[in-house]
Amino acid sequence: MLNRLKDIVRKTSINVCIINCGGCNGCDVELVACLSPRYDLEQYGIYLQNNPRDADILLLTGAVTEQWEDKLRRIYAKTPEPKVVLAVGNCPQSGDVFAQEGGRVNAPASNYIPVDAAVSGCPPRPSEIISAVLKVAPGAMVAKSQANREIKDDD
Amino acid sequence: MSSIIWYVYEFARKAWITRFADAKSQKEIIDKPPRFRDFPIVIAENCIGCGSCTASCPSPTAIKLVRDKTTEEAEGLTYPVINESGCIRCGFCAEVCPSDPKTLECGENHFIKEEFSIIPSKRRYIVDDYLCIKCKACIKACPVDAIKEENGRIVVDQLKCITCGDCVDSCKVKGAMKGVFIDNLEDQKKLINLIVSTLEKYIESKQEELEKLERESILQLKLPLSSIWDEALKIIPDTEIAHEIIENAVDRLKVRIITWNKDKCKKCQMCVPECPIGAISFDEEKDTIVRDNDKCCRCSICYQTCPFGVIKYFISKFVLDVDDDGEEYMFITVKPSHLDYDFIKGEHNES
Repeated sequence: MLNRLKDIVRKTSINVCIINCGGCNGCDVELVACLSPRYDLEQYGIYLQNNPRDADILLLTGAVTEQWEDKLRRIYAKTPEPKVVLAVGNCPQSGDVFAQEGGRVNAPASNYIPVDAAVSGCPPRPSEIISAVLKVAPGAMVAKSQANREIKDDD
Repeated sequence: MSSIIWYVYEFARKAWITRFADAKSQKEIIDKPPRFRDFPIVIAENCIGCGSCTASCPSPTAIKLVRDKTTEEAEGLTYPVINESGCIRCGFCAEVCPSDPKTLECGENHFIKEEFSIIPSKRRYIVDDYLCIKCKACIKACPVDAIKEENGRIVVDQLKCITCGDCVDSCKVKGAMKGVFIDNLEDQKKLINLIVSTLEKYIESKQEELEKLERESILQLKLPLSSIWDEALKIIPDTEIAHEIIENAVDRLKVRIITWNKDKCKKCQMCVPECPIGAISFDEEKDTIVRDNDKCCRCSICYQTCPFGVIKYFISKFVLDVDDDGEEYMFITVKPSHLDYDFIKGEHNES
């Protein structure tokens, strides 16, 4: 009963935290546009948190630079379960234009933390970001929490 | 308590309920604008496999050219594949795609195509930025609007130009707008070399007159065009083109002449180390200074070095014109250099 209630709450209110691990800020600008009245993230029940400890979803932007390698793992560890990582833009997926020969970026981000979903685009449109979050997040979170419960039960 | 009553009252209104039930995102927020440049669309049948899309792509992982396996029925198709996680939607691939119709479609900008000029012409009209006074007479004269002003320069759009030549006729400065022959550039170089070498030899043959030439005076000579005409026609057989090239070259030529009076030379060898390209050397067996005429770049440093006036330095200019007898001549004006005079005067002033 309590678990079911938890799942419903998780579905309807999604807390996201933006992590820019060394990008050009293009995707961050699009994310800020999501907060603006035109797109208005909060009407979909998505709340922005600046602390990864409060967040359910990590929005990853930017190709992973050297300084971010260990910090990315630390932030991922700080996020409470069940957590979902969403790669926004091309950089965390492939490194995009920064992944040139002799470049100093260590894309993809999935080398360091498990990435659950990705939105392509350089940058993606705000509507694409919102629809991706809404499509992926509730289901993934419920599935993860159930998986976690099963693991606990097995123990 | 009163606020709770107010909430209940407010939410129970029919207008609120209908609006809440019908709540939808506005269409214009969800839809992409019509001119939005989305990921490129690949039409594999049109591909010619040239690889220009992969070469133009700024992102290293975005586009790959792949080839299907060849089966018994048909040869494998070659076509580009877009990796959406690498593509930045710049549309360069669609822009450079040379196949017709395009293999890659991305936005609408790349559909704008300029008509290619197919008029056969030996000339290409270009503007000499150095001489152009930007009077814009050519822009007015052009019947197809091929001439434009860009960043303060007058530019001829070669795709629009129909090579009618009206711009040259309207140009107020001789040589600012020119119709250049483009298909025989090497021959033109040969012809100009011929002109320069004949003129230089002719002036150097008048060494006695040059030696006598006073400062502030000029020597005027003339050489008939017929003296080089036969050889010029051997290089470029078309008389009209050859004549125009000779005229253009002669009118703009400025040749520096160096004369060497061996009788005055005292073999001090001061000029030998001064020469920047080593064209002057000392022949010990014959006890003379030797100057390599082909190596010499006419920089006049030897002339400025020599303390005995062995070397003289002259500047000559030319014009091609018709003389009184109706024949064309290359008129030559030779003027001694003022370098030494300026130098002495400057030193005098200092003291």
